[in-house]
Amino acid sequence: MTINSNENKTAMQEILLLQRSDNFCSLGNIFLHSPVMIRRRTFSLQRLLFFVPLLILMEQPAASQEHHSSVSSTWLILQTIPSLTWISLPAQINFALEWEATPVLYSFGMNRLDPRWHFMKVTQPERFAGSMEFNISAQLYTSKIGSSHWGFSGQIVTHLPLIERGEYLGLHLGAARYTIAGLSSTYLLGGVSTLFGFLHYTIKYSPVEIIWMHSVEFRFF
Amino acid sequence: MISGCNPLITRFIAKSFEDIPRDAETVATKIEHPILPHVGLSILWVGHATCLIQIGDKVFLTDPMFGNTAGLISKRRIEPGIAPSSIDKLDFILISHIHFDHLHYGSLEMLSKTAVMLMPPGSREYTPEFGFSDYRELHPWEIFESGGVRITAVPVNHFNGRYGFDASWSESDTFTGYVLEYQGKTVFFAGDTGYDSEKFKEIGKRFTIDAALIPIAPIEPRDFMRRFHTDPQEALQVFEDAHAKTMIPIHHRTFVQGLDSSLTYAQDQLKHLVSEQHLEGRVLILNVGEQKILIP
Repeated sequence: MTINSNENKTAMQEILLLQRSDNFCSLGNIFLHSPVMIRRRTFSLQRLLFFVPLLILMEQPAASQEHHSSVSSTWLILQTIPSLTWISLPAQINFALEWEATPVLYSFGMNRLDPRWHFMKVTQPERFAGSMEFNISAQLYTSKIGSSHWGFSGQIVTHLPLIERGEYLGLHLGAARYTIAGLSSTYLLGGVSTLFGFLHYTIKYSPVEIIWMHSVEFRFF
Repeated sequence: MISGCNPLITRFIAKSFEDIPRDAETVATKIEHPILPHVGLSILWVGHATCLIQIGDKVFLTDPMFGNTAGLISKRRIEPGIAPSSIDKLDFILISHIHFDHLHYGSLEMLSKTAVMLMPPGSREYTPEFGFSDYRELHPWEIFESGGVRITAVPVNHFNGRYGFDASWSESDTFTGYVLEYQGKTVFFAGDTGYDSEKFKEIGKRFTIDAALIPIAPIEPRDFMRRFHTDPQEALQVFEDAHAKTMIPIHHRTFVQGLDSSLTYAQDQLKHLVSEQHLEGRVLILNVGEQKILIP
């Protein structure tokens, strides 16, 4: 964590004081005690991350929508299996179970028979061979963060294939909004995935709150 | 991935790790120009299920696999019989199913973009764009015709999915065999299949097959593999059911497969059976990289 303003210094001093005391045990405490988490301001880089890929999407030719397999009951049941996440928060490492859903994904790396737009059901190649998606997730942390075990997030992520169309190595860039312990903050995120998209390492950075998070995820969705 | 909990898979992975330090066997003489100027029917075994088939002026490549590993786990034990760059003319790519050792992205990237890629239903969701001239999914018994070539997708027995967990939600069978017909010559490519008497007898009734490319491995553990993979004895039964004139065994000697005790385990069994049943002239066991002209 770095400090770049007087206001943040004050907040950071507060966190450091909390860290020295027994009260500090989680990111939730930071959220609850730090004034930097309350402040809201427009960040132009975030806007860029949201709107530039959208403009790129609008330039793409329409894809065939003639066929796409529908959501089956087996698929639905398997979606209840959570992904496993180890997340390094500023004050602790937490293990979490995570359930994700992809309301919409635009795939730009697949063959011309495959539709470009996908809703909810997405195969690994449709995601990792090149795509941009909006996904939402709920995290159940094994340790309490603030007053809750639960966290929620929404992300817009671009997946770019690096090796074997993303199956061996993929790069992910995007922005996320996390709500933990009832407080929200926006993060820029970047990461890599391997093992056919199942294993991820992601760094998340909140430019407003100056918070770094690292996570290793065994992602199943 | 869920199937990773299975003790059989664990034993297979352990067996694959033993191979990591081993170098792949080299192919002594690689054919530099495998496309022949004048030929009736020729078949070159590249390794595994990859065969370069030439009928007259048309060139077909089955399940292109030139990679060093299948699915990051199973290491290639003998290098490909030809370089992909030597295939300077390619009309059709035939994909039997979407498993890592049959739908290999890195290999498809290396191939001529003039080809039409044919694949079983459900494959489009697993196939990135490689720039080929066309992509088609064929359902069982569906026919694709182009430039006098007639390709029929034929039913076989295998299993769905690419990553394990996705096998259970496929809505149709994402595996197939193909029968190729051109200029009066017919080739049956069985892909990867278990034995099913009815299906292969039906194929035998519908076509007069000059050459059948039939998998012979993995064999062990038989109780598990039987449903999805023909062993040498069953492969010979497929050959008989389909009434083919010549059989070329495929899907062996290239990768560690199942729990077979050696790389030549299936080939050795087939040799023994061929000798026992006096099929020497009809069953041609090719070396990796060997090209056979069946009809000049």
